[in-house]
Amino acid sequence: MQDLLRRYGATLTGAFVVLTAFWLLALVILPNVTLFESSFRYYLPVVDIGGPKDVYTLANYQKFINNPVETSFLGIPFTMPIHMITFFNTVIFSAIVTVITFVLSYPLAYYLAKMVSPASLPTLILLLFIPLWVSEALRAFAWYIILTFNGPLNSSLVGLGLLDSPIRWQNGVVTAYDAIVIGLVYTYVLFMVFPIYGSIQSLDRNQIEAAEDLGAKWWQTHWRVVLPHAKPGIASGCVMVFMLSAGSLLVPTVLPSTRSNWFTQTIQVLMLESQDWNSGAAYSFLYILLCTVVVTLVMWLFKVKLSDIAK
Amino acid sequence: MIKLIKPLSRRTFLQATAAGAGLLAAPAIISSKALASSGEVNFTGWAGYPKLAEVVFPAFTKATGIKVNFTELPDQDAMFAQAKVAVEAGGIDVIEPTIDRWGGWNANGLLQSLDESKLAMGNYLPGLADGAAGERSRLDGKLYYVPSNWGTEALVANDANAKLSSPPSLGDLFSADNQVVLRPHSTLAAMGRYLDAQGKLPRPWIDGYSDMGAMVQLWDIALAEAIKAKGNVVQWWSGENEANAGFTANGATLGLCWDSTGYNLRKDGYKYVAPTEGAFAWHQGFVMMKNAKNVEQGLEFMKFVSTPEGAAGWATAFSSNPVGKGAADLMDPDVKAYYNGTFNDEALSKLWWWPEQTAEFISKRGEYADKYRAA
Repeated sequence: MQDLLRRYGATLTGAFVVLTAFWLLALVILPNVTLFESSFRYYLPVVDIGGPKDVYTLANYQKFINNPVETSFLGIPFTMPIHMITFFNTVIFSAIVTVITFVLSYPLAYYLAKMVSPASLPTLILLLFIPLWVSEALRAFAWYIILTFNGPLNSSLVGLGLLDSPIRWQNGVVTAYDAIVIGLVYTYVLFMVFPIYGSIQSLDRNQIEAAEDLGAKWWQTHWRVVLPHAKPGIASGCVMVFMLSAGSLLVPTVLPSTRSNWFTQTIQVLMLESQDWNSGAAYSFLYILLCTVVVTLVMWLFKVKLSDIAK
Repeated sequence: MIKLIKPLSRRTFLQATAAGAGLLAAPAIISSKALASSGEVNFTGWAGYPKLAEVVFPAFTKATGIKVNFTELPDQDAMFAQAKVAVEAGGIDVIEPTIDRWGGWNANGLLQSLDESKLAMGNYLPGLADGAAGERSRLDGKLYYVPSNWGTEALVANDANAKLSSPPSLGDLFSADNQVVLRPHSTLAAMGRYLDAQGKLPRPWIDGYSDMGAMVQLWDIALAEAIKAKGNVVQWWSGENEANAGFTANGATLGLCWDSTGYNLRKDGYKYVAPTEGAFAWHQGFVMMKNAKNVEQGLEFMKFVSTPEGAAGWATAFSSNPVGKGAADLMDPDVKAYYNGTFNDEALSKLWWWPEQTAEFISKRGEYADKYRAA
């Protein structure tokens, strides 16, 4: 603060503070507080707002546990509320996305950090960055085109004689969420590569050599030396990819199957189609809360502290 | 928040600059055209129909001198959301919902009634602003809504590969012979109407729109039947582009889609067919915001879209049907031929107008759509 004052004088410093405060208060805090407050009120016609029916309630949150439907997991049938199923699907497939991005990113990050010659590093990083310059919407749509029934993937596979008849990739070969998982992995893989690259880079080469000199096999070196050192980078990469995937609306909307439903789509339907902003707000806050619980649990399971990630 | 920003809105900025420009260009202003100028109207309507701004608005401005400030929104859910903001903050005079929705808008305190003496109610084609539609445009005798164009949601079928029964039926959508592109909530209504026509419902499908108890009873049946037939769905659609891609990219042979989808695909080997149960029909039009600043200009605008020129322009832009008498003769011959190919007098008499859907109904409908998607 003193520094700012000395460098820019009172007027400019004052302007900085006022603008930042306006940004934070009016554009971040106030809308969120309004949304939070409205999540505890009934969806009422404008004429009834402020009237006797306008009271605080938990009903919007309770909708999450309404509407049980029959479903099954691993062949075991059970009933569960429809939106809870959507939530678990979203969390499970976001976790799968996170694991796949990790498996793809770790070797790449290790290669970039420890194996590649310093001269070619900038070129490689540039090559990784170029797809990021294309908008997320276009990248998702590109995958839509690739995976469509009459698309290039089917026509080349059939043309090469690898397939007898085209496959509906988008509707899922393994699960109903195949296309969404592919789209999310492609969109968010770099959010995993760079944190891991950063943390592996800080590892002293001598430690790897010492491990090898002492007779560790290549996988033992990774398991005992590189991975523990890279844990903070892996943790922040995983948290980022998981939260971005769980919060993505665009990819699940562009690449859905006929059986998929992402929790963000449920919120969007509440907000826009049902016009029920109150329930939409309640679902949004519930979603943030539940995702935070999931992330905290997983971090506890892997013994990662928040302060590790902050590094 | 919104009030803080308001003094800096685009309009006040434009007014200020216009005043400055006016001083500089004083001689140009003293022309007959400028003298005829009588302000502006803030119109919020549908995005994706460029001929409105290219053809219709210039014609309106030429006829009346009123300038149209057009805000485009993708669907009427977004319009409703925007109108809820605008009723506090201002900025919208005229907006374009469908006939089944303005009741809900009005219940939310967004609308004011229209002065019929400033409109030309005689301009409208029979059946669109009078009769049953006329009753649905009014509340307590006051007019709230006038039509701008109308259209249908029916079967889009591939000429070569769609397997249609004779006569074509909504039931064809649920036949394993067809690969279909659908939107969930319309599909459940189609299933309900199909079952109703087959006499397989305990009570008429239409009851569900006025009685929530009946709605749950009927939609449970429709949902269960629709889930059984879900295997042939290849893709969902929610807007024009997705519906189109469902046919062209994902190879659907049949769909329950808007007429514009059928029109855009007419040269790619698809036809637009009215089912024997009757096509779903919608009716779109203008309402006046409660806090409209330019009421006179707004009424003038609505009146223009009932004239042959305005109605034909509007319908051409939407690839839909005109509301004004004499407009059909001015329509693009392509659009005219397309409609006459689908709707003969019998099909027209069978049109099934979407009933009014309350907020509670739409919310419940959303739950059914969720269950159908997830199944």
